[in-house]
This record gives sequence, structure tokens and C-alpha cells, in this order.
Amino acid sequence: MYLTEKIAYYPGCTAKSYAKYMDSTSRDVMKEFGIDLVELTRWTCCGTFYGLADDNLYSQLAPIRNMIRTREDGFTDLVTTCSMCYNTLKRANLLFKTDEEKAERLNAFMYEEKNYEEDVNVWHLLEIIRDKVDIEKITRKVVNPLKGLKVAPYYGCTLVRPEEISIDSNPEKPTILTDLIFALGAEPVEDPYMTECCGSYLTVKDKHLVADRTNKIIGSMTRRGAEIIMVSCPLCQFNLDRRQKQARELNPSLPEIPVVYFTQLMALALGMDYDKLGFKEHHVDPTIVLKKRKLLGTPEKVPIKVKK
Amino acid sequence: MTKTSAEIKQEMVKIYVANTEYEVPSNLTIMKALEFLGWRLERGVGCRGGFCGACSTIYRLKGDHKLYTALACAAQVEDGMVIAQIPINPANKKLYNIDSLKAVPNTMLEFYPEIARCISCNTCTKACPMDIEVMDYVQAALRGDIAQAAHISFDCIMCGLCATRCPAEITQFNVGILARRLYGRYIAPKYKQLSKRVDEVEKGKYDAEISEMMKADQKAIAKLYNSRVREKD
Amino acid sequence: MVKDPYPDYMRESINKVEKTREKRVKETLDQCSPDDITDVLNKFHPDFIKEQKTNLRFGVSKGEVVPLEVAKIIETRSILDPKKVDLNKIDFDVDILIIGGGGSGANAALWAMKNGIKPENILIATKLRMGDSNTTMAQGGIQAAVREVDNPAMHYLDAFGGGHYENEPPLVRRLVKDAPFMLKWYEELGMMFDKLDSGEMEAIHGGGTSRKRMHFAKDFSGAEIMKTLRDEVFNNKIPIVEFSPAVELLKDDKGQVAGAVLLNLDSKEYIIVRAKATIITTGGFGRLHIQGFPTTNHYGATFDGCVMGYRAGAPLKLMKSVQYHPTGAAFPEQIVGLLVTEKVRGKGAQVLNKNGEQFCFPLETRDVEASLLIRECLGKGNGVVTPSGQPGLWLDSPLIDLIHGEGTVEKNFAAMVRQFGRFGVDMIKDPILIYPTLHYQNGGLTIDENAQTPIKNLYAAGEVCGGTHGSNRLMGNSLLEISVFGRAAGISAAKNAPKVILGKLTLEHVTNYNTLCNEHKVKNPPSPIIFPDYTSDKHKGRLLPTDFLT
Repeated sequence: MYLTEKIAYYPGCTAKSYAKYMDSTSRDVMKEFGIDLVELTRWTCCGTFYGLADDNLYSQLAPIRNMIRTREDGFTDLVTTCSMCYNTLKRANLLFKTDEEKAERLNAFMYEEKNYEEDVNVWHLLEIIRDKVDIEKITRKVVNPLKGLKVAPYYGCTLVRPEEISIDSNPEKPTILTDLIFALGAEPVEDPYMTECCGSYLTVKDKHLVADRTNKIIGSMTRRGAEIIMVSCPLCQFNLDRRQKQARELNPSLPEIPVVYFTQLMALALGMDYDKLGFKEHHVDPTIVLKKRKLLGTPEKVPIKVKK
Repeated sequence: MTKTSAEIKQEMVKIYVANTEYEVPSNLTIMKALEFLGWRLERGVGCRGGFCGACSTIYRLKGDHKLYTALACAAQVEDGMVIAQIPINPANKKLYNIDSLKAVPNTMLEFYPEIARCISCNTCTKACPMDIEVMDYVQAALRGDIAQAAHISFDCIMCGLCATRCPAEITQFNVGILARRLYGRYIAPKYKQLSKRVDEVEKGKYDAEISEMMKADQKAIAKLYNSRVREKD
Repeated sequence: MVKDPYPDYMRESINKVEKTREKRVKETLDQCSPDDITDVLNKFHPDFIKEQKTNLRFGVSKGEVVPLEVAKIIETRSILDPKKVDLNKIDFDVDILIIGGGGSGANAALWAMKNGIKPENILIATKLRMGDSNTTMAQGGIQAAVREVDNPAMHYLDAFGGGHYENEPPLVRRLVKDAPFMLKWYEELGMMFDKLDSGEMEAIHGGGTSRKRMHFAKDFSGAEIMKTLRDEVFNNKIPIVEFSPAVELLKDDKGQVAGAVLLNLDSKEYIIVRAKATIITTGGFGRLHIQGFPTTNHYGATFDGCVMGYRAGAPLKLMKSVQYHPTGAAFPEQIVGLLVTEKVRGKGAQVLNKNGEQFCFPLETRDVEASLLIRECLGKGNGVVTPSGQPGLWLDSPLIDLIHGEGTVEKNFAAMVRQFGRFGVDMIKDPILIYPTLHYQNGGLTIDENAQTPIKNLYAAGEVCGGTHGSNRLMGNSLLEISVFGRAAGISAAKNAPKVILGKLTLEHVTNYNTLCNEHKVKNPPSPIIFPDYTSDKHKGRLLPTDFLT
């Protein structure tokens, strides 16, 4: 496949540890559309959450340093798959662009680096898919349409709030995931909880609170008939997948539902071998519902029953 | 015509130690300058060659607000140097048994959870006298990339200057050695021939040959020695 | 434009080196014949200058040939006055006391622990920090006969012949047989030796080896070993007292060694340690600056262990033999004496005189190589003399990149590139100036193959011992020695200590030794000296008298 475009890629810490498959499926899927996600040569943790006390510039160092790294590699666009990273990087970048004095102080502190000149654009992969690749192209490349699969899109909150960095002009009802689900041949099940916070990093300190959120979100989606949830953030995936067990302690009748990244379902629909998509790593096994819908593997790979 | 060392007048510089101004020859290292002043060193001295990290020193230059770091044995005095030493770093060293560890991404965070406080300020890298990208190896440890943390931190002499300056209070050098030991033990490929040879020696495969040489008289062994063939490089 | 660190006349000499480089790539000179060896050693090796040696006048090894500087600190009174020491109050009561916190000390402690001694019953006493030692500075590597084309018998022969046949055969046997085991243990501890992708450890020649068996970790081999062993000592919570050098051994009324008296460098108090087994791992004597040579050794290498052992009646051997490392830095002045590892020559760098010409095979055994260099400078006048009067010869480091490809020097000798770089010298572009430097104590306390000295309860391991290397140590056998005999000492001590019953503590042996000194009208300053004195002369005459130490 001839790759026509290279974009600088910021994996984020989880992409290298427990969200390895978000990383590998993203890169493989984008290759199908001629886009090479080039990992930054050097990058540091973004800080995970945007530092709200913006008189404390220390928390802006990490995101801005990653902008400098992007320029060092010769790129002006930086894409990430993790919504937390997207939120942190984009807001820090925005602060830098709008507050000249803080920008100067940040550059002065990082005197061992080249100055950052506010010339990098931060993207989430969904934006690239919507704006650069175009949903139409995806539909045409699908070889294993996810027919009949009821997918609930889940955005979480960091992708759409605050308004300045939202990937959709309507932060209360974004459409990109729904459009993507249609393109993959599946049935979207939109839900009022699809932009509600999953509890985020509070999962470390207050599992109970996250279990409560998980219960509400999953409860609402399953009542509407969803059989699989599609997320765009590794922390959302962690919370909705791994905290289901605790959620069931609050609500024993909560059904089990698998939670996957959008790139994993894209990869499946584009015909990639499902064994390589990391489904085994999930706590709630997605292969059960996928097998039920006869979606594992491309038409060539799906075993055909031969009448004797 | 080159001057002899006696003819070249030794240039002197002013340094400040404990609020006192001194004049010392400009070609001395900080360590030798202190000895020039009559100090008989007992702390902040070790190998005197830049390998052991005993002589961690911080200094400023008169008129300059910046804080610099150096190894006293390896840095030359400069005019206006205001010197202080940190012979021991109060390190947070965690205890572990290498045999029972797993080289998985979370191990580093498990023993040194404070690495999650790293804000990428790069102060540690600027403090390192061995030109190591300290921030990069802490970040690698943070995201569970043990191999990268091991390789980047390899030259570390554990002088503690990074930990002294870190605003997040991480003890970088202890993180580094854990990463290196995990790498050396669990990630680097094993030397199979080594196990084989240990086994052979244990079973006494070479005992007879060595016994013979031990019993041989000097003439016989000299003959053996001089007729060795050296393996090509 | 960076200022050239080299004065004009030295730069001119470097230009000559650059001119001859192309033709020298393929040029290999012959090794010395046995007759050549005897000749150059006798005429130019510092060991053979009779006026610099003397015979010990008293003590258990009376008659032993030693350098003058060694006689000065061994034929003298103790810094401790036994009359002023109260032996009734015991500060530490342990199974095993280890004096010296370097590679052999750490190995002794860990292996004693693995052989049944509880960590809290061990004590490591060291004059500086745990790990401050010559081990940390060793750059070259550790020998072990592992590869299929090699075997321990060949290793034995190399070591025995290299030592001029004066080695103790049982010690050499233990050295070469335990080598693969120790290397494997080090791999399991997680030390990062340079390896190929297959897992095979890289191995190169050292001076005098017939097979490539020097394993290394870039040029930080000793540091890598020491850092990891020290980490293990900490992990196992083995008690350590730092900045507390031992100043004399203790004995009991039955004549067996019973521990030691330590000096707390901060409070200046003495500390009484009673121990069922005492292991001396105090390292070498480089800071005595034999014959005025600079040294590669660390600050604390002052022969303390041998002095204390000798006073307790432990014999010394092979003290006539001192190892001068052929390549110590000779320029710039700030780092004169510092080790330039043999590996640089192992990778192809040649030794050249002021005209840029080779004059000897670069990888003879260390004593032969050092003598050849001294002959070229002092005998033939073909050396370069630095502005401070230091003679030297060129070591053509840029040749390495020419042979092995660009980046080889930077990758393999990172520490050295940095050391020279700090003072403006770029060893990748320019050759470096070297001259022999005082490096290793070939002789020392006698031990058997279980690291036991002839004195009951006294063990010794590492550089402080004599006999393993004969009269000349091969490169890579010292890191091996601390490993093998450190372990041997730990195991022996662990085996014997539980059976030991100690009597009344005494320093009588020190009193007796002091009496001997008086009888011989000795006028030397007291010992052990603990640290060398580098303060300038103008300070020495005006020290405030204090009498806490004799």
C-alpha cells in the first residue's frame, strides 16, 4: 500500500502498556488509507490531565515539550488516539497560543530546547478519519461489514469538553462515532449517557464512584439494546471494562457487555485477522458477541459449512 | 620557543568556599583546589576519576543566578565559583528480591510510584554530570519500557545530583538500577553456552588437564606456555 | 572555535601520527621473544631498580623484598595506642566482620549469607562509602573461559605463564574453575554485559591471553559489577558502617583473630567489633605512589589490610612485584594517572612514539608492555614531554574507528571519551598521551584456595592477597579474583564461624609489634595511614597538634 501521507503520532503511556492494541490497530488501520502514523522519536508523558491551575506552569511543560519534539521531527500536525492525551495536549497548546506571557516563560524555562513557535496542530484520530480520510472511503474499504451488530458509541468527556477543543461543534450530541458505526455496516445505538464522564482517573482512588458511573452508563446502553460499546479513550475502556464487576455488585442485574476501541472494530471490518486485534486482553470477552453475529474473520476466513 | 613549566606563570582564579574568598591555581580540579587550601578530604572523595559519584558538587558563578552541578574530581575551577558539596544523597531505595520480580510494565511503578509525579521539567537531565538523558529514562520507566530505561541509564554513576534537584522528589538513580537489573535478568537473551560450560566444569571435565599442569615442572610448563597459539582478533 | 588543548609542539607530533596512520592500519609488529622479555624487564621495569627496594627487617615475613614506600608504612608503630583502648565494651558482636566494601567484600557478605549466616550477624566496615573501591573503576572486563574454542585449562596456562610461573597453582586452579560460575551468577543478578542478539556475551583479548575471554559492559565493567553487588547488599539489609576504617585487628588470648578496632571518622571514637571470622578485603596500595608514579587507584587504596594483617602475624608474599598499567593518562594534567583501559589496545589502537611510529606489539603482558614504553621514553628519548614534565607516548585511538567503523570509540569507550572531553581533548579525533601508571598490587597476604590465611579466623580476598597472579596479573583476572575469592572467603567464613569460641580480647600483638619497632629504632610515621595526604607542603608544618590517635 503506497503511503501518501505521514503524520506525527503521539502514542501516550497506556499505548505502550495496557492499551497496546489501541496502538497497533490504529496504525494498521490508518495504513489502509495511506496514512503513516510516525511515532515521535522522543516523547514524554503528557501529564494525563490538563493542569487547571494555570499559574503553575510546571504542568504545561510536558505537553509543550511534546510540541517541540513534533517540530524536531519536522512535522506540524500531531495525532493521538487517547482522549486524555488529546485533551491535555490541545488545551496546553491553546494556552500557549493565546497567552503570550506564559508562552515566553515556558520557552525561557526550557532553555535547553529550541523555542516553540505555536505552530503545531493537535488532532484526535477521529478527527483525521472524519476530515482527512472521509467516512465514504471507509465504507468502500469494508470487506467484513459488521451486519446486525448493535454498537453503542461512547465519547466520554475529554473528547468534547471544554467547548474550545471539542472534536464536534455540538459537544452534547457529537456524530463522528455514529457515522463511523454506519460506515462499518453496524447499527449505532445512541444514548444520553454517551458523553457522560466514566469517572476517569478517580478509578485509582474511588473505585466505588467509577462503579456507579459504569452502572449508569452500561445500564442505559444495554436497556436500549446495545451489545457492544465502542470507545475512543483507553481510560474509558479500562473503567467500563474492568469495573463492570464492581458495578454488578451495585446492580446484580447489570448485563455483561464488551467494550472495544473504535480502531479495533475498524480493523475487524477492514478484514484484519481478529486474533491480532487483542480481544483476548479484554476483561469482558468481545469474541462471544462477535461470534454470535458471525463476524470473526473476513468472508474468506469464515469457515463455510460444506454440505456433504 | 616553548616555555618550560617553570617559566609559565601559573594563572590564579578566585573561588568561594563557605563564604570565604580564596585564590587557587586555575588548572586545578575543584577537588585538588580544596586540597590546595589544606583540606584533607574524608567525604566527597572516592575514585577521583569520575566513576563513583562520591564528589557531587553544586556551584554558582558570582553574578549568575543559575545553579550548576559537577563532579569535583572532573571539573576545573572557574573564576568566581561559589562551591558547596553534597557527599551523600538521602535516597529512597526500595528493597526487592530480583529472583521474584517480573519484568512487566507495572513493576517500576510498583516500587517507585513517585515516578508518576514526573512533570517532564528536564531538571534532572540538566543536573547530570554524565550527559545522560535522565528525564527520558524516567519517562521510559513510567510507561513500562524497561529496556529503554536500562539502556539510557547505563552510564549512571549514582551521584544523586538528579535526585537532589528533582521537584517531584524522585530518586532517579534508584529507578535506573532497578530497570537495568530487570533488563539484565529477564529481558536480555541468556548466554546458553555459559550454562553449558558451568555444567562441564562442575562435572570435572577439565580437572585432569589442570592437574597435569599443576604438577609439571617450570621447564615443562614454560614450554607449553611459549608454544601457545594466540587466537586472531 | 575551541581552543586546542595541546601546545604547539605536541600538536606537531600529533600531525606526524596522522601522517603514518594509513600505512599503520595493516602493520603489526612481532611479539617479544622470551629473551627480549627478560632483557627489557630487567633494564626498564620499575620493579627491577634495586635502590627502590628493601628487605623487611622484622615480622613474620622478615626478609621479604618490598618497595621502599611499603617498608615505610609496615615497619612502624600503630596509630592505635593499645593502652588507651578499653576492650571490655564491645560495640558490635557478629559472626563475620568484613573489612572493605568493594567487590570482594560485597561478594564475601552475600555468599556468607547464602551459606547460612543471617544478614544481621554480618558487618561490613568501610573507610568511605559502600562500593568505593578499585572495583568501581575497573574498565576492561572479567575473564572467564566460556567459549567452545576456550577452556579453563587454557585460562590456567595464560595466567600462570603471564605471572612468570610464580603463581600459587591451587589459587590459579580455583580462579579459572570458578570463573564461569561467577559470570553466570552475575548474569542472573541482572548485570548488563555486552551481548550479541543471540545472547552470547562479547569477548575480546587482553594482554597475554591466548583466547578471547574478556567479558565487559562497555567500559564500565567494574562499575556495573560493583553497582549491582552493592544493590544486592542493600536489598538483603546486610549491616554496613561507612566512614569507619579498621585500624587494627583484634586477637584473643588463644592467638586467633577475633575482630577489629574501627575508627569513626566523624566522632573520632574507636569502635570495638568482636567477630568469629574476619575477612580482609581492603584492596590495593596505589595511593602510596610507589616510585612517585601517579595511580589509577581510588582514594582509599593505602595498604591498610596488609599492615593490619602483618601486625597480627599474617605473612606476605610477592611484594617485590608491582603492576604498572602501561596506559595511564599523561595529559591533560588534571587526569594524569587515570586508567586508559587495555581494551583500547584490544580494539586496535597502537602505541606510538613522538614520530608517529610503532615500536612494539601493543598487547604484551602488562609488565612487559610498561617496560617497553618506559624504554622508548627514558631509554631512547622518543617520548613526548608535557608542559608539566610528564613523559608520554601516543595511543592512536582514532585508528579504532578507521578499523571498526565510525562510532566504535564513542560506543565502546563512552566513559573515557567523556573523561577526556571534560578537559577539551577529543580522543575520537586526536590520539591521547599515555604513560605507565601505578595500578595493581600483585603481592599481598597469603591465602589458600579457600581464602584462608595461616592465622585462625582470618580470611582475605581480592587485591589485598598475593599469589593468585604470580608476579604479573593479566587484565580481567582481577575482577575475576574479587568474584571467586570473595565468594570463597564468604563460604569458608560461614562454614567455620559457627564453630568458633572466642576468648578474652587483646591487642597484645600490636603492643609486641610496637616493641619490635622500638627495638629497630624505626622512625617512620605511624600506620595504617587510611588516606593519602595531598595537601600542599605549606600546610603541613602548621597543623594543630591533636593526640586522639597516638
